[in-house]
Amino acid sequence: MLKVLIPTIMLFPTIWLTSPKWLWTTTTAHSLLIASISLTWLKWTSETGWTSSNMYLAKGPLLTPLLVLTCWLLPLMILASQNHINPEPISRERLYITLLALLQTFLIMAFGATEIIMFYIMFEATLIPTLIIITRWGNQTERLNAGTYFLFYTLAGSLPLLVALLLLQQSTGTLSMLVLQYSQPLQLNSWGHMFWWAGCLIAFLVKMPLYGVHLWLPKAHVEAPVAGSMVLAAVLLKLGGYGMMRMMVMLDPLSKELAYPFIILALWGIIMTGSICLRQTDLKSLIAYSSVSHMGLVAGGILIQTPWGFSGAIILMIAHGLVSSALFCLANTAYERTHSRTMILARGLQVIFPLTAVWWFIANLANLALPPLPNLMGELMIITTLFNWSPWTILLTGLGTLITAGYSLYMFLMSQRGPTPNHIMGLQPFHTREHLLMTLHLIPVILLVTKPELMWGWCY
Amino acid sequence: MANYKEAPLATQPKTLDPAEYFNLSPDYRRAEEKRAALRAQLKRQYLEQLNNPHRKALIEDPALTRWTYARTNNNYFRPTAKTSLIGGLFGVLPLFVLYVVFKTDRDKREAKIKAGTYERPYKLST
Repeated sequence: MLKVLIPTIMLFPTIWLTSPKWLWTTTTAHSLLIASISLTWLKWTSETGWTSSNMYLAKGPLLTPLLVLTCWLLPLMILASQNHINPEPISRERLYITLLALLQTFLIMAFGATEIIMFYIMFEATLIPTLIIITRWGNQTERLNAGTYFLFYTLAGSLPLLVALLLLQQSTGTLSMLVLQYSQPLQLNSWGHMFWWAGCLIAFLVKMPLYGVHLWLPKAHVEAPVAGSMVLAAVLLKLGGYGMMRMMVMLDPLSKELAYPFIILALWGIIMTGSICLRQTDLKSLIAYSSVSHMGLVAGGILIQTPWGFSGAIILMIAHGLVSSALFCLANTAYERTHSRTMILARGLQVIFPLTAVWWFIANLANLALPPLPNLMGELMIITTLFNWSPWTILLTGLGTLITAGYSLYMFLMSQRGPTPNHIMGLQPFHTREHLLMTLHLIPVILLVTKPELMWGWCY
Repeated sequence: MANYKEAPLATQPKTLDPAEYFNLSPDYRRAEEKRAALRAQLKRQYLEQLNNPHRKALIEDPALTRWTYARTNNNYFRPTAKTSLIGGLFGVLPLFVLYVVFKTDRDKREAKIKAGTYERPYKLST
């Protein structure tokens, strides 16, 4: 763990001390090195659930894919931001990359944490750099509104979590996950206990986001600059999922009864947000709502607490992280050229950008969960386990899959096919950097088809 | 044009009626000239942008801006009886209906498991 954490911390001096000519090259190269080192974590040698070299930071089959995703994403974020940050003065560029690296550090420590309090502190700490990125570097005036919604929704959800954690500490004497997994199932039989149960989970449900409390997500994703959108969609949502998976272990007897409202919200949310996607005119907003839809499926899979549900949830989280981030990068390429996110303004792109049309095609196919890509594998596992939980869910999840296919196809056909309007003809061709960005997103998704054991978690 | 007579079964279009352009008041004429001048200015601005060889950006269309603003901001939502009914029917009622459906289904299964009559349809060892 330290062999990744120390280079990440050393990224800060790198950012501030390189000469301006070499800033982007060095930071991208440094973060790519960190990403390659993090790939060594994927070699799983022990048979037990966790391996840790110290008591505070550990790796496990649940965390490792998420950690690798986080480390993989930093060079991609830096690559994606290069164009729109370049005109700014050099110290602001350094500040921007510092914020991204800070986010990376907090995320590594959050995912690797063994104490739940440390996870909580890092969970909250990731809010600050993201808020600064959204409100300072976003492009429209709505970014202030977006930052406010983002901050206050997440904070309001996580303050009950703090109280719940402190109560847990009082009653069990420890908050280390290594110890808590062996503790006795807690006696949970009064109203107070039900509030405690809800308090533990609300923070992660808001972060996921669950359908009823998802309002911050479209705003934050749309107003954030591309790196902000990428990290939000790919990793920060997964913090919620990961937190839920960890907490569900200790919440057991009550979850059977109390999880119903949240499962129902998640499943109905798939259909509602999917339908909203079909009516969107703003491209980033469509991708943001599709994130809510996929995460609804993940939330449903986690809340029913079955082995297949957990496996499906992890697989879908990793696959969705990569694909959603890829879609945001593509939307950003359209935005940088036409300076507008409206879908009808950037249509018929296939004629002038043929290779990019391939990336759009693959990313949209992945989004609509095409076999054999891991998106489908995750979704199928979750749908199957939900069917086992109650056969009626197949109506909701089946309709949800249909709507997902509908809006993904809509996104593809709207942006790529059709007659090319005149103002599009004069757009700048694609840079190699952007093609590299897209390959680095999509190649891992395709490679994961060949070795899904990396992502399965511990429940296979 | 002065001896234009309309076709027997058709009405005369308004623009060909001589009264339209011979009986105008000077105020109306001045206003109409100002409007024509504004239109010509706008058209000139648009054509300058359109034919500018160095132009790289899209020509901004205020109608499009208004349309996207209207579509993306939900400022036009007002809670009326109809919208509340639709919201309740699609947003609130399904949650309760689904709760009832899932709960009864799961409780039936739980009762069968407790009674020992539940046949497991799949053989899953893990």
